[in-house]
Amino acid sequence: MSFALRTRHSVLPGFGLALGFTVLYLSLIVLIPLSAAFIRTAGMSWEAFWRTVTAPRVLASFELSFGAAFIAALINAFFGLIVAWVLVRYRFAGKKLIDALVDLPFALPTAVAGIALTAVYSSKGWIGQYLEPNGVKVAFTPLGVVVALTFIGLPFVVRTVQPVLADLGRELEEAASVLGATRRQTFVRVILPAILPALITGFALAFARGVGEYGSVIFIAGNMPMKSEIAPLLIVTKLEQYDYAGATAIAVVMLVASFLLLFALNLLQWWARRRGGQDS
Amino acid sequence: MSIEVRGIGKHFGNFTALDNVSLDFPTGELVALLGPSGCGKTTLLRIIAGLETAESGSVLFHGEDATEREARERKVGFVFQHYALFRHMTVFENIAFGLRVKPRRERPGEKGIRDKVTSLLKLVQLDWLAERYPSQLSGGQRQRIALARALAVEPKVLLLDEPFGALDAKVRKELRRWLRRLHDEIHVTSIFVTHDQEEALEVADRVVLMNQGRVEQIGTPEEVYEHPATPFVYGFLGSVNLFHGRAHDGVMHFGNLALDAPEHGGAENALAVAYTRPHEIEVGRFAPGDPGILARLKRALIVGPSARLELEREDGAGMIEAEIPSELHRRLALREGDTLLVRPRRTKVFLNAA
Amino acid sequence: MSATFALPMAEYRFPVRRRASGESALVKWSLIGTALAFLALFLFVPLAAVFHEALCKGLDAYIAALAEPDALASIKLTFFVAALAVPANLVFGVAAAWAIARFEFRGKSLLLTLIDLPFSVSPVISGLIYVLIFGAQGWIGPWLQSHDIKIIFALPGIALATVFVTFPFVARELIPLMQEQGSEEEEAAIVLGASGWQTFRRVTLPNIKWGLLYGVILCNARALGEFGAVSVVSGHIRGQTNTMPLHVEILYNEYQFAASFAVASVLALLALVTLALKSYVEWRVRHETSDPVTVGPQE
Repeated sequence: MSFALRTRHSVLPGFGLALGFTVLYLSLIVLIPLSAAFIRTAGMSWEAFWRTVTAPRVLASFELSFGAAFIAALINAFFGLIVAWVLVRYRFAGKKLIDALVDLPFALPTAVAGIALTAVYSSKGWIGQYLEPNGVKVAFTPLGVVVALTFIGLPFVVRTVQPVLADLGRELEEAASVLGATRRQTFVRVILPAILPALITGFALAFARGVGEYGSVIFIAGNMPMKSEIAPLLIVTKLEQYDYAGATAIAVVMLVASFLLLFALNLLQWWARRRGGQDS
Repeated sequence: MSIEVRGIGKHFGNFTALDNVSLDFPTGELVALLGPSGCGKTTLLRIIAGLETAESGSVLFHGEDATEREARERKVGFVFQHYALFRHMTVFENIAFGLRVKPRRERPGEKGIRDKVTSLLKLVQLDWLAERYPSQLSGGQRQRIALARALAVEPKVLLLDEPFGALDAKVRKELRRWLRRLHDEIHVTSIFVTHDQEEALEVADRVVLMNQGRVEQIGTPEEVYEHPATPFVYGFLGSVNLFHGRAHDGVMHFGNLALDAPEHGGAENALAVAYTRPHEIEVGRFAPGDPGILARLKRALIVGPSARLELEREDGAGMIEAEIPSELHRRLALREGDTLLVRPRRTKVFLNAA
Repeated sequence: MSATFALPMAEYRFPVRRRASGESALVKWSLIGTALAFLALFLFVPLAAVFHEALCKGLDAYIAALAEPDALASIKLTFFVAALAVPANLVFGVAAAWAIARFEFRGKSLLLTLIDLPFSVSPVISGLIYVLIFGAQGWIGPWLQSHDIKIIFALPGIALATVFVTFPFVARELIPLMQEQGSEEEEAAIVLGASGWQTFRRVTLPNIKWGLLYGVILCNARALGEFGAVSVVSGHIRGQTNTMPLHVEILYNEYQFAASFAVASVLALLALVTLALKSYVEWRVRHETSDPVTVGPQE
């Protein structure tokens, strides 16, 4: 990685100092520690690495972390779109308060969210008491993981779709209706394609966040190996057993997965910008 | 198809956008709704399109009441000021949109759509842009595509909201001539909204002048320019000089001038204003006893065949703008600072309201 | 990858009733109902549950749970760590925004991506990487041990992990804001004879103050509430290396539910304060940037 010196002259001072500090701080806090995980793993033989990350218990935890995160992100994509729509398009009492509270999962510590969700969805909880008699067990099952990850990922779709929907401009919808489109056709052919990049971005952000989530999940999941144990918890368990190599190997798989996702997301945004242009 | 609006009223909060407006738009004409911003012209256009609901009054298409019809059922073509092209669709798909959303039994086949779009692209002379996205087009191209899109559904009426408002001056001029030619070709009843008087006068068959939610005057471009019905129209269409005085018994008096104003035969010493366009002003050297208003030449600007003069009235009643042939300017050997005598050759007198 | 907290600059106003692009009242209210039900199920009910559980044993028990020495120690530690992490990331955020938004250089988009990196790393891994460096089996663990320096299972480790997870907050608020504002004003100040520092203090800072505050609020909220990363490096020593979220966990695992929720309720209150401050900043920005004259009919 190299940062070439500035290519355009500027009268403003402080470039060297600001960039130097930025790169130094970034390296010390983020890049060197992160590379430690990869270097550690490079010390393992390929076989040992493969055996570690394909052990049944590890695979089960990956399946749960990725699967539950995917389902939760889907739930959030669907309901998040409705929430964003309602917040942008309609007026109703308490809208401002609700708009502000959508960010609660960003502000509320995950441990607090975890114990609160457990309390609400356990068999005696406010919501759980109605679910359990109907055969739906949430707390201490994989379903609980989905609930926690839905909570954690809730703001992402809302907050990415909301501004796009707000700037969509009513002229586009008016144009569609004057051209004879029904409300449904307008939504499917005009509105949805326009917000699709934002919707996918929000989905991917919620998914990425869900895959790595720890605090809110461990209370509600029950943490039974092979059944309701998420990958980050397995890392912690291995660390507590001083199995640094095992913990690091799982971490590397997760890091690579999230970097790939980040890369895909950048591609998506680049594509959406190119296609949509900056203005109408 | 003809359009009538009857007694349309609309408010936005305390603001009166339209105040009991009634108009006829005969079949096949190109009509301009002209007025300053906030005069209600866009609101009226949107009510005709069904994009806005009027509080009172009705809209008739071809004699039939269409007030309760939704926008999508009115089958009008609407061109938006900022084009409103669908940015995720190619030019081709934008134009095809109105055809693709038709109910199945009315929808043309894929080939029908392709033929229609291709012919429209030819009509707007942009057939080479079919596969581009709107973001890759210039403003003028976008506006022509927006027009093609509106025409695709073969509307009986074409409504254009400030169609050239977002374009630069040169493209604007080209496009409005093009629009006029296009209208002569397809002859669809068209209404366009503009705040640019030059545009309205150049393009339209008839001009409707609006101000503060009311219609001020309706007429051909020549009628409204040459015979403005109200002081507002006088002021809005081109520059004008105002001379304040009194009207009595069919004669308007101001300064040492007396001008015939037979239309105000019944006026008795009423406060009145005489309106005169710059080219209707005569300028001459001062000679004692000659009738006219004394004014000092502040600035003379010669542009081609005419000279524009800025004159300051000696009595302190403000500036007068005059336009004379540059030939005359040369003959009189006018110099800045000269004291001149100014006389309106033709005026229109309006009595002060109340 | 992260929370996309962009400052909403203007709120789009839709007229109350428009037939061209409006839904029927039935569709409208069922959408509102669906949205509210979803939010209630996942947000409002759990939030209410925190306070309900905290107070279910009475106010005395609640106060006793908070006044307990280990709880107090955890509160103190939490704020102390935030007081280290937030200023560090604030300085970084300003420096990064200055370099990126005011100068052209190669590798800029790579740098932008790298700054966002901590958001896409699982909190547990954020803790793990510091253990790999400073832990007993880590790169410099043995050296630290021989010099009697404790980083992991001690305050420095907790602070480092917190700095990592809150790393991008201030920078990602400031960079787009400063890019949008452009450098004309600063250039004008320099041309008028201001020094670099004067320019920054008198021109740049007033322009970015709300964005800066916004970033700090979010950074602080995450610093106070971080659990996973801190959990890995803390060692869970009661009264010493337990932050509030960790204390919540310990009490919960010991079945002291009311006490656990009591500490949790303090964190929940802090979260609500965060949201209130955030809304206030958004409101201020909206009022300072919106033009009050443009309200009215569009023509």
